[in-house]
Amino acid sequence: MRITTIRRTVQFLSLGAMVAVPLLNHRGIAAVSGSFYSLNIGPVLFTDPLIAIQSLLATLRFEAVLLASALIPAGIALVLGRVFCSWVCPQNTLSELFDTLSNRLGLAHFFTLGSTPLIRYAVLAAILAATLLFGFPLASLLSAPGIISVQTARLIYEGTVGLELTLIGIIILTELFLVRRVWCNHLCPVGSMLGLFKCKKTMKVVLSEAENRLCIHCRECAKACQLGLNPIAGQLAPQCHNCGACIDACRKMTGERKPLFFRF
Amino acid sequence: MSRDFLRPPGAVPEEDFIGRCIRCGKCALACPYRAIRVAGLLDGLTLMGTPIIRARLSPCYLCLKCVPVCPSGALDGRVKKREQVRMGTARIKKKDCLTWQGTFCRSCYDHCPLFNEAITMDSELRPVVNEKKCVGCGICEHVCPAESVAINVIPGGAG
Repeated sequence: MRITTIRRTVQFLSLGAMVAVPLLNHRGIAAVSGSFYSLNIGPVLFTDPLIAIQSLLATLRFEAVLLASALIPAGIALVLGRVFCSWVCPQNTLSELFDTLSNRLGLAHFFTLGSTPLIRYAVLAAILAATLLFGFPLASLLSAPGIISVQTARLIYEGTVGLELTLIGIIILTELFLVRRVWCNHLCPVGSMLGLFKCKKTMKVVLSEAENRLCIHCRECAKACQLGLNPIAGQLAPQCHNCGACIDACRKMTGERKPLFFRF
Repeated sequence: MSRDFLRPPGAVPEEDFIGRCIRCGKCALACPYRAIRVAGLLDGLTLMGTPIIRARLSPCYLCLKCVPVCPSGALDGRVKKREQVRMGTARIKKKDCLTWQGTFCRSCYDHCPLFNEAITMDSELRPVVNEKKCVGCGICEHVCPAESVAINVIPGGAG
């Protein structure tokens, strides 16, 4: 089965959960509650590592439970890479949708940014420094998945949404007309923080060097990558969020040879 | 710091609250009365995403379901009983209060969840707020029938 088929299912389910959780919570069924900032599944608490670190910096207090609850998401990133971004995050789902749309419409972008990881680490460092300096949880206001999930709940509970959604609008318009997929690729602090949890064994896309699995240089993998990465040039980390689109494109061309695959 | 809204029960003092609250919205999801609202940008950039209660619209009924769901310590988990809550203190404006002006009314007295403790009647059956007992839930403000609501919760305090 295509990786993308499974991924679309997971994306769809996570969008559905974003609507179902507030609806169920209001009926008193609160086994699962929260948002992409912080989520309870039964007694287990999950917190976005960025938000946990932000709390530490903004308050200079060691909230053990909050920090511990970031360990599972960080652990998932350590093993599977930034799969939260590509498989779950609603901003990525939206951005993917609009990117597909703009390709169909043949919209051209004004700028391109290379695949340098410097921008994302500079942005993350600036946000964390400002959080420490002002004692204000700035990252919460810049977490696109957090904003989308809280505002969905707010729409269901209060019938209104807040101007926080302006950020989401700006991201979409920028990506449509100025720089392709710039948020997930270079700016998002949530993804940058998750990307810090990596090691040699973290799951990644690799190109086989075995003779019976040689790459045919069709370049379909690079064309399939919305983030503009090129798997055969080996320039993936830290932007690559393991969506698997390149692997699907590769299978289509090479069948059972599978030169491109996920490896731990 | 003056503000025209209350924080949910258990909230730490306002200057700490702004920094500690991670804007996750869990307390609003937990509130069965939809009393806890999520502040928008129009409420101010620093308040955006934080939980607020506008008692006149919808007060806090002190079920305390929001306190244990807070992951950040912005709502202090040690607050477990309604008597520990300190969202603010009710204040009666005698010139607007029906009873203090001579008409008989005991809406605030009757609806106060800390009945006959936080709001008592004086010897002439006029309501008086006991500031030591009042938790600031805002139910009195919500039920006051006077044209320009005569009892208001002044936000503040911790808990």
